[in-house]
Order: sequence, then C-alpha cells, then structure tokens
Amino acid sequence: MEDLTSSGETVRGGASGPDPDDAALLVLFANGDAEAARELTGRLGPRCHSVALRVLGNRAEAEDVAQEAMLRLWRIAPRWQQGRARVSTWLYRVTLNLCLDRKRRKAAVDLDAVPEPADAAPGAAERLQEAARIDALQAALMDLPERQRQAVVLRHIEELPNPEIAGIMDISVEAVESLTARGKRALAAALAGRRAELGYEDD
Amino acid sequence: MTETERDLDAMLAAARARRDDLPDGLAARILADAATVQAAQTAGSERRLPTRGPGFWAQLRGALGGWPGLGGLATACAAGVWIGLAPPDFLPDPVTLVYQDEADLDVMGGASLSEFLSEDG
Repeated sequence: MEDLTSSGETVRGGASGPDPDDAALLVLFANGDAEAARELTGRLGPRCHSVALRVLGNRAEAEDVAQEAMLRLWRIAPRWQQGRARVSTWLYRVTLNLCLDRKRRKAAVDLDAVPEPADAAPGAAERLQEAARIDALQAALMDLPERQRQAVVLRHIEELPNPEIAGIMDISVEAVESLTARGKRALAAALAGRRAELGYEDD
Repeated sequence: MTETERDLDAMLAAARARRDDLPDGLAARILADAATVQAAQTAGSERRLPTRGPGFWAQLRGALGGWPGLGGLATACAAGVWIGLAPPDFLPDPVTLVYQDEADLDVMGGASLSEFLSEDG
C-alpha cells in the first residue's frame, strides 16, 4: 500500500506542468492552515470520489477510497516535493491504485453495486431516466477490462488530456489513445441493444 | 457518428454532470482526517524543538563559532601558558614582577613585626 503512494511521487507531470495552486495550498496545509484543507477538499475530493465511483461501481467503496486517497494527501503534505508532479496527477494515481487494491482483495463479483439514488424532486421522471442511463453506462463500464475502464473514465468523465492520463497510468500517449478508443467501441456495442429501454427512441 | 455513439456521448455527459458531487458525510470525514493529521504534524514539529535541543557543549561550540572557533581558543590558551612560562624579551617577566612588588611593598614602614609586638603599652 505505502509503496503505491511513494511511487506516485515520481509520476510524470501532465502536459501543462506543475499546478502551482494545489501545490501552494498543500504547503499552507503543512504549515497548519485549516482553510487550505477545506479548499483542497473542495477541489480534489470530488475528483477522487468521481473516479473511484466510476471505476469501482460501488458507492460505499468509492467513498472509502476517496477518503483514504485524501488521507494520503494530508500525510504527504510536509514532504511534498514542489515541481515533481501535479498534485491532481499524483492523487488520481493513488486513487486508481487504491481501487485496484480493493478489487484484488474482493476478487469476486460485486453484487451490491448501488444504483443512482431515486429523486422525488420536480422533474423526477426525467431525472429517473437520466439515473437509469447512468446506471446502464456504469454496468457497461464494469464489463470493460480494468485498464480500458480507467482510461475511459479519465478521458471521458474526468476530461483529462491524454498526456496527463499517460502520466497517471504510466503508459504512453499512444497506449492511452488505443485504450480509450477500444473502450468506447465496447461501450457503444454494449449499449446498442438497450436504446429503447433507456428512452432514446423518443429523443 | 452513429445513433448509439451519440447516445453514449449523452450518457457520458450525464455522468460528467454529476462528477462534482461530493457526499456531505464524505466531505466531513475527509476534513476530520485533515484536522487530525494537521494537529499531529504541527504538534510533531513543535515537540522536536525542546526534546532535541542542543546540549551545553554544543551551545558553547556554537557561541564560539564552531570547531574552528574552539581550535583558535585552544591555540590562544596554549600561547598564553607559554608566554607566562617563557616570556619573550620585549615583555616583562611576571615572576620578577611579583618579587619586585613584594620588595617594594613595605606596609610596616621599615619596622619589624617582632619589634612591634614586643613594645609594651
């Protein structure tokens, strides 16, 4: 577990170089600034949670992983080496590694994947359909091979540039392009038979 | 782009729209961890100062300018001892000075102590 975190320190930075804001906040945090913790949680907490949720397909586990990834960020704050990697790149990598650890430990079919929460607010019918579509997408994502799912989530849900994904996954940009292309084709094939069910015919 | 691809893009867009959701309980737990780690890290850096403070000799060495300062001090001491034992020509010999002082200083004004004590009142 720890080696995953420490290897994250040597992650190649993304195409846009180090992110001074997150790194500067991390220095403030290490100096005891409580406001920096809130700001970093607001910026990076959703990133960990979103990736973990889409990669694991399980809400409770995604929350645990996001909390653990952020805990590792807090712990490394005093030793953070400026300019080595973007904070977000490091954190995505730690999050994906924690997801992998969970999967290896469970090594079984995940039966309690939690569906999108039902919503009783106005426009609930539309939101219900949207939730059903996201559930269908999630189910299709879970059928992808691990690396394809990671690449598709980072590219098409987190909308990261390919060079940054390459840094997070420690592969070449070409490999990222190949994984995302194959992943998207597989998703489209999986969803092709469910158009009517998901209400796309009347769109 | 086929209809299915368009649908897939719409689904990915729907998932993107929810990517910034952070459950309240989770945000609170993350912040609680942050406070705990921050308190431990701050306490750790403060605790190191008194317990790992420099000892007496380290402080003295620091005040004198480190090992070079101490070396200089030792050399000066040794030179002082040598000058005291065998002063060069241009300096007065401290031993002679002490004897001269004793010779010059006659508090009794030439009278001897036995004379003074044998005088009757």
